[in-house]
Amino acid sequence: MIALLAVLPVVLATVLIGVRGVVAMRSTSDFLVASRRVSPLLNAAAVSGEYLSAASFLGVAGLVVKDGVGALWYPVGFTAGYIAMLVLVAAPMRRSGALTVPDFAEARLASAALRKLAAVVVLVIGLLYLVPQFRTTGLVLGVVSGAPYWVGVVLAGAVVSTTLALGGMRAATYVQAFQFCLKLVLFIVPAVWLVIVIGPDARHDAVHPVPYTVFERDTTVKFRVGATLDVATDTEARTEDGRAVLLPAGRRTLPPGTTLTFPAGAPVPQVHGKHPPGGAAWQRPLLDLQGAGHALFGTFAVLIATMLGTMGLPHVIVRFHTSPDGRAARRTAAITVALLGGFYLFPGVYGVLGRVVVPQLYLSGTTDTVVVALPGAVDGGPAGTAFTALLTAGAFAACFATSLGLLLVVSGALSHDLAPGTLRQLRVSVFGAAAVVVLLALPATRLDAGVLVTWGFTVAASTFCPLLVLGIWWSRLTRAGALAGVVVGLVATSAAIAATLFAPPPHGWLAIAVAQPAPWSVPLAFATMVAVSLRSEPPSWSTAAMLRLHLPIR
Amino acid sequence: MKRRVAVMSPQTRLALAQRRPDRHDRPWRRPQLDPVAAERAVIFHRRQLARAVTALALLFALLFGLPLLLAMWPELDSVRLAGIPLSWLMLAVLPYPAMVALARWQLRRAEAVERPGAPE
Repeated sequence: MIALLAVLPVVLATVLIGVRGVVAMRSTSDFLVASRRVSPLLNAAAVSGEYLSAASFLGVAGLVVKDGVGALWYPVGFTAGYIAMLVLVAAPMRRSGALTVPDFAEARLASAALRKLAAVVVLVIGLLYLVPQFRTTGLVLGVVSGAPYWVGVVLAGAVVSTTLALGGMRAATYVQAFQFCLKLVLFIVPAVWLVIVIGPDARHDAVHPVPYTVFERDTTVKFRVGATLDVATDTEARTEDGRAVLLPAGRRTLPPGTTLTFPAGAPVPQVHGKHPPGGAAWQRPLLDLQGAGHALFGTFAVLIATMLGTMGLPHVIVRFHTSPDGRAARRTAAITVALLGGFYLFPGVYGVLGRVVVPQLYLSGTTDTVVVALPGAVDGGPAGTAFTALLTAGAFAACFATSLGLLLVVSGALSHDLAPGTLRQLRVSVFGAAAVVVLLALPATRLDAGVLVTWGFTVAASTFCPLLVLGIWWSRLTRAGALAGVVVGLVATSAAIAATLFAPPPHGWLAIAVAQPAPWSVPLAFATMVAVSLRSEPPSWSTAAMLRLHLPIR
Repeated sequence: MKRRVAVMSPQTRLALAQRRPDRHDRPWRRPQLDPVAAERAVIFHRRQLARAVTALALLFALLFGLPLLLAMWPELDSVRLAGIPLSWLMLAVLPYPAMVALARWQLRRAEAVERPGAPE
């Protein structure tokens, strides 16, 4: 019921605004970039709306519960990306007149091969980014309504692809701007309410964390995805039907779907390979990736990936083309920094309160649901239910808004770059792409939204970031150089992601270098691009092609 | 029935006309700049690049300096402001106003270069 209350308005508003956009739509250019007549403030709201995904709305707070206060470096990097965008990319990119990164690659370097390669990179980033959105929809719907995981995933795919196929980007511009305001309100109001009603004791506990080692009250844990636990001493627990079970000391693997109730005072089993929330490492404001013990390096790695990845995110780049000129594109980036900054003051509030109120989520591995789990745990009455509904609506808005933009660029890459086509083909490819993402999201319950999305950033930072920065500022860049750099960046990051997913985890520095390859893959891609470019000859028009991007039209 | 066309700026039409050599009958036109425009563009490019480098240096100093500061002075964890550890506030609050100020400052400088009547 709550789920219905929360989801229906978001779905309806999304589809309605989408349909309204159809009226004015005429051509492929209309569909993709709303014919470029959007003001900087509206566009900045749309950029922010598109950008604030499940990773921002739910993922960051979840990572704070799981990994510690240092996880708040993610949103700092997410915001800083728009300064890099403002400084390096926004205005010249808009002046290039290209619709997408593959377009830009061709406009600047006149290489059809590079265009196709860039389209492939768009697909990779799009999938890495879309899968966690659909996954989160499934998880959240499961938490608030008890629906099976796949229902939410399929629902997300259906709503997003229908809206997009009907309205395109013009629809998306208004949908995104509307959804940014919606998300801002739905995130901030419950946060303030939570801080007030949670009481002085919990507020004190939130800023004076203690390690989570003893259950303070009877605690029911749903292991939706299964877990490996290190049990210190024999622990009594009850199953859903009231049977008593004994967890003997040692390493225990629980199958997905297990539900256990631990009595108050029982010792908390520890998730294998993780520090318990609230401990000394948890409190440090640095990001100790993979528990490798190099917190400063881990923090830098995430900052590099998120900051440089933003400028290469295809769904964000395409948004800047809805600005009328280079100056408006630059203003859009600057306003976006302020809008995002306001939003990102709050994930930390949910994170530290969540550690006090629902720390057991860390046991089940689904800390991504902490934001929607909080109100119900704090207030069992109608107020708690109402705020759960509001936050669920916000989470859905976050998933849908981001998915709209991403699905658009993915289907754009398919039908516009890889196989040039008409508006109709573009609509067909929207549904095709959504179906693929649904299939990939179904087995991906175990992967955190924040981590998956950051991989998307890493790929973008290692491929499109050097391509755009060198393409815009360095006239010596050649086709061969650009191709080599993008290939090297894509292969390096894909290999690291594959190693993280399928290989046994390494230790120490190597663990960070594999889990977050940006600190070496970005410089490697830049170096390859420069070195190969210097060994090949740029065409005679190369300087003109670059200078053109810096000439304001008066 | 009349043919419907997309409404777009002249700049966009130009850019679209140049795109995709393999898809239009028209051959891909190499980008051309007349000497006067090229001279202006060189000046814009140089000035914007200088400003971009400064702004990026400041951004990197902020983002990489702050974790360094927090790593070097763990005592900041035990200093409290309104009950909240100062180091948490330096991570969760401080970067945002700083970044907004930096964005605003850089926007002003970048626009000043392109303002009509700016020294060339």
